[in-house]
Amino acid sequence: MRKLILRQKQAWASLKKKPGFMLTVILTMGITLGALLCAITLNYLLLVEPMPYPEQERLFVAEHRLSGAEKETKGVAFTYPGLVHLYKSKEAFERASMLIYGGDVIISHSSQPLVNTAYVTPEFHQILSSPLALGRMFEDSEAIDTNNPVAMLSYDTWQQEYNGSADILEQKINLSGVSYRVVGVLAKNFVEPELGAIGRKTQVWIPFDYNQTGEGARQSFGNISGALNFMGHLKHGVSSSQAVQLLTPLVNDRWIEGVAEIDFFKGWSIDIRVRSVKEVILGESESIAVMLLAGVLGLVLIACANISNLFMSRTAEKQRQMAIQAAIGATKNHLFKAMFAETGLLMFMSIIVALILSQIGFYIMQQYLGAILPRVNELGLNAITFGAAVLVTVVFAMFFAKLSTRMINYRVLNTTLQSSGKGSGLQVSKKTRKILIASQVALATVLVFANFSLLKDAVKTINAPIGFSTENISTLILNFSSTNFPTQEEAIPIMNEIMEKLEALPQVDSLSQSGSPLDGFNVRALTNLANNERYTPFFKGIDHNYFDMIEQPMLQGDNFTLADRKDGANLMIVNQAFAKQLKADGDVLGMQISTGRPEPLKIVGIVKDIAIPGATPIGSNVASAGVPRAYVPNGLGGQTFMLKTKPGQTVSREQLGALLAEVDARYSVFSFNAASDILTQSLFAEITTATTTAVLASLVFLLAGIGLYGILSYGTQLRRFELGARMAIGATRKHLISLIIGDNTKAVLAGFAGSIVLFALAYIGLSDYIQPLLSWQVLPMIVATLILIILVTLFACYWPLRQYINQPAIYSLRAND
Amino acid sequence: MTEIKIEMKSISKVFETDDVETHALKDVDIVIRAGEYVSIAGPSGCGKSTLLSLLGLLDMASSGTYSIEGLDVSDLSLDEAAAIRNEKIGFVFQSFNLIDEISVFDNVALPLSYKKDLPTDEFIKERVETCLKMVEMSHRADHKPNQLSGGQQQRIAIARALVADPAILLVDEPTGNLDSQSGDTVMAVLAELNKNGTTICMVTHDARYADMANIQLKLLDGQIVKQEDLKVAV
Repeated sequence: MRKLILRQKQAWASLKKKPGFMLTVILTMGITLGALLCAITLNYLLLVEPMPYPEQERLFVAEHRLSGAEKETKGVAFTYPGLVHLYKSKEAFERASMLIYGGDVIISHSSQPLVNTAYVTPEFHQILSSPLALGRMFEDSEAIDTNNPVAMLSYDTWQQEYNGSADILEQKINLSGVSYRVVGVLAKNFVEPELGAIGRKTQVWIPFDYNQTGEGARQSFGNISGALNFMGHLKHGVSSSQAVQLLTPLVNDRWIEGVAEIDFFKGWSIDIRVRSVKEVILGESESIAVMLLAGVLGLVLIACANISNLFMSRTAEKQRQMAIQAAIGATKNHLFKAMFAETGLLMFMSIIVALILSQIGFYIMQQYLGAILPRVNELGLNAITFGAAVLVTVVFAMFFAKLSTRMINYRVLNTTLQSSGKGSGLQVSKKTRKILIASQVALATVLVFANFSLLKDAVKTINAPIGFSTENISTLILNFSSTNFPTQEEAIPIMNEIMEKLEALPQVDSLSQSGSPLDGFNVRALTNLANNERYTPFFKGIDHNYFDMIEQPMLQGDNFTLADRKDGANLMIVNQAFAKQLKADGDVLGMQISTGRPEPLKIVGIVKDIAIPGATPIGSNVASAGVPRAYVPNGLGGQTFMLKTKPGQTVSREQLGALLAEVDARYSVFSFNAASDILTQSLFAEITTATTTAVLASLVFLLAGIGLYGILSYGTQLRRFELGARMAIGATRKHLISLIIGDNTKAVLAGFAGSIVLFALAYIGLSDYIQPLLSWQVLPMIVATLILIILVTLFACYWPLRQYINQPAIYSLRAND
Repeated sequence: MTEIKIEMKSISKVFETDDVETHALKDVDIVIRAGEYVSIAGPSGCGKSTLLSLLGLLDMASSGTYSIEGLDVSDLSLDEAAAIRNEKIGFVFQSFNLIDEISVFDNVALPLSYKKDLPTDEFIKERVETCLKMVEMSHRADHKPNQLSGGQQQRIAIARALVADPAILLVDEPTGNLDSQSGDTVMAVLAELNKNGTTICMVTHDARYADMANIQLKLLDGQIVKQEDLKVAV
C-alpha cells in the first residue's frame, strides 16, 4: 500500500511538471468519456433496463391497423366503438385498460392553465401499480359507465399549480364545466408510459367516462383517432401472436358489421397488432440511441488515438529518466507500474470530469431531447454509469500504460546512459506511426462524412420552404366551460361578437376563423363520383380569409366566400397533390367528390401545395411525396381563430381572456400559440439533429485535426536531424515538403481505404441507414470530406516542418550534432 | 597560381539571445586553394563548428564576404544556399547523419537526387559505385547504415560527400564518435582522397589528426591566432 501511495505521489510530481500535457489528456478524455458515459447510460436505459412496472413481460399494447382492399395500411388507430368492444370482450388480456389522451383548461384555477389530460379506466394505474403521494388511484367506483367525477393529479401539477397543498384531496377542480373531486396524487417517482407521444406528461387523470369524444364519434366505426389506446396484461400462457389470432377476428367482424352500410370501406379490414409496452415506447428511439453511441465511440477512438500519440511522445521524453531508474535497479515491471500510476491518475481525473459532464449531458437531454427520446427523465448517474466509469478508467489506464511501456526496449534502455545518445533516442516505430495516421484518417473520414450527411438532411428540412406564411400569425383556440354546449345558432352571434372585439384590438391586423395549417388536419374518406375511386386526403374546414392570411397561393378557380360559409355550400378546394391524384393532368375544377353524405362537394379551386415538416401522405412514409389536402368552408360557430398582428405588436393570453370574459364568461382561452413557435416545435427533431451533428462534426474534425497534427508533428520532430542532413547535402524546401507529404501519402490513402472498409462493415450492420445514402447525391459530400481531410493532412505535414525548413540547416542539425 | 576554392574575408558571426550578444567569430579571413588539406583546431567553444557551418552554408555570417570558386555566396536565400551546397560542398559529420531507413547505396546517391537536372540512373549507379570503391565499402552497398560499424558508417558518409563531385569536402570531427582504430581508418581514407586531389577542410580537436593536414588553422575566441603552412600542397 505504501508503495502504491509512493508511486502515486511520484506520478503526481512528474505530471505537475507538464501541466499542458495533463490538461490536454484530462480535457480530451474527460469530454469524450463524458459523452460515452451519457450514451452508455442512455442505451442501457432504453435497451436493457426493464420498465418500472410489474409483470412487464405480460404488459402489452393492442393496436388497431386499418388495411385497404390491397391490404395496404390505411392507418394505425382505434375507432371509439372498436376500442370499447375490445375492452369489454375480455379476450386474451387478463386485465386491460382504455386510455384517451386529451387537453383541457382547469377553469377553477385562478390562472386557468391548459393541462394534458388522460381519460382512463381504473385498471390503468392498477396494472402499472402506480405509486401514490396522496389518496387513492381509480377504483371500481370509477369504472366505465359509472360517471363518477373524480380526478388524480400528477406530482408536478400538485406542486406547481397547487403549491403542494396538503388539503388537495378536499379540493375540486373544474374542467369543461365538470367539477372533479381530487382523490389522489401520483408519487414523484411515478414513470408514465409514453404511449401517445414521447415527452408528453399527463397532468390530470380523469375517469374514462368523461373523455371528450363527441357523441357521433362514440358510435361511428368510420372515425379513427390516434388518441385512443389499449394496454393490459396478457393472460398467463397467451403469447402476443396468440393474442393477435384471438383478437383480430373479434374486432374485424364487429368493425365490418359496423361499416357495412358505408361503401367507402368495402374490402377494407382490421388487424390487431400486439406489441410490448417497451417496444411501443421505444419506437425508433432504439436506433437513435445506438447511432448516438456509435458516433460517440468514434469520437472516443479518435481521442484515444490522439492521447496515444501524447503518451508515446511522453515516453520518448522520459527515456533518460527511465534509463536512470533502470540503472539503479528498476525492472521492466517497475517501469510499467510507474507508468500505470501516471496513466491511472490521469484517467481518474478524466473520469471525474467525464462524470460531471455526463450529469450536465443528462440535464441537457432532459431539457432538449425529451420530445425525441423516451424515458430521458429517468436518466441520471446510476450504477451503470459508475460501473462503466470504473471500467473505462481501468481499461484506458492499462491501455495507455501498456502502449507506452511497449515502446521501451529494456536492454537498450540499460545502455542508453553509456552511449553518446546520438541517434539512439527512443522512437515510435515508423510502422506504428503509419498505423496511427491511417486509423485517424479512416475514422475521421467516416465520422465527418456521416455527420455531413446528417447535417445536410437536417438543414435541408429546416430550410425547406413550407409554402405559407407564419409571420405575426398566432392560433387562438377557445375553451367552453360548461357541459351545456351551445347550438350552432346560439354560438354564431357569440363568435361574431368575439371576432368584432378581436378585430378591434389595436394590435390585430387581420383575423381568420380557422386553425393554422400547423394545428393539424383531419383525415376524411372521399370518393370521386366520376369513377368511384376512394381517397383519404388531409381535410380541413376553413373560412374565406384563411388562404389570404397564410399567403397560400390560389392557382386556379375561386376562394370560398362568406356567403358560402353562411349557406353551408357544398364546395371544396384541393391542393395540387390531391388534384393530380384525382386526375393525372390536375384539371379537376367542377369535379364532384362525395363525403358519404347525400350532397357531393364540387371542386371550385386549386391551391399550391404546402409542406408541413414531418407530414407524409396517409399510408406512405415518404415525406417528399406531395401530401393531398382538401379544404371545405367551415361553419360560422367555430372556436378556433388565426390572429395576424401588426409587425412588432403582440397580444397577451390575459388580454384575450379578459376580452372573452366580457363577451361570455363561459368562454376562456384554451391555447394561444404563435405559428412560428409551432413550426419551430415541429422542426425540433431536425433542429436538434442539426445542432447535435454540427457539434459532433466540429468535435470530430477538431479531434481528428489535432490527432493528425500530433502524430505528423511528432513524426517530423523525430526526423529533425535527418531533415538537417538532407538540407546539408542540398535538399531545398520543396524537396523536403514533397518528402514529408510523399511519406505520409501512403498512410493517408490507407486511411481512406480503411474508411471504405468501415463503411462496408457499417453497411452490413446498418444497411437501413446506409442504403438511402448510396446515390450520386452523396458524391459532393464525399468530395467535400476528402478535401477537408486532405487539407488537414497537408496542413499537419507542413506546419511542423516549417520550423526546420525556414531556418538555416544548422538549426536542425545542432541538437544532434 | 593554384585555383582558389574558398575565400572568406572579415567574416563575423554574432549570436543574439535575450539581449546577450555572443561573438562566435570575429573578422576571420580564410583562403583555401585547390588540393589543400586544411585543419581547424582549437578548444571547445572557440568557434570551430560555427566556422565550418559558415563554410558549408549551413548558416549565414553576420558580416563579411564569402566566395566559393569565385562565386559570391555571402547573401543567399535558403534554397539558393541548398543548391550551392549540393553542387559544391561535400559534408562529413561527426555523427555520420546517414538515413537508417534507406540502403547504403541510396544514402550515397541522395545528393544526386537533389540536383536541378536529375542525372540518369546509369550515371548515378556508376558514380555511387565509384565513391563506394574509393572508401572501400562497395561490398556493403545493399546494407542499411545501422547494420554497419561506426567506422564503416563514417566511410559511407565520406562517399556520400564525394558523390556530387564537390569543390571542397568539409569534415567535422570525423573521428569523434569512433574508436581509435576506426578513426585511423577514416583518416587514412581522407588522406588518400587529398592525395588524389580532393580539397578538404576538417575541424578536429585531435592534434594527431590535425597534424595530417597541410595547413593548420588554430582558433581561439572566434579568431584565427596561428596559421602554419606545414607541407607543400601536392
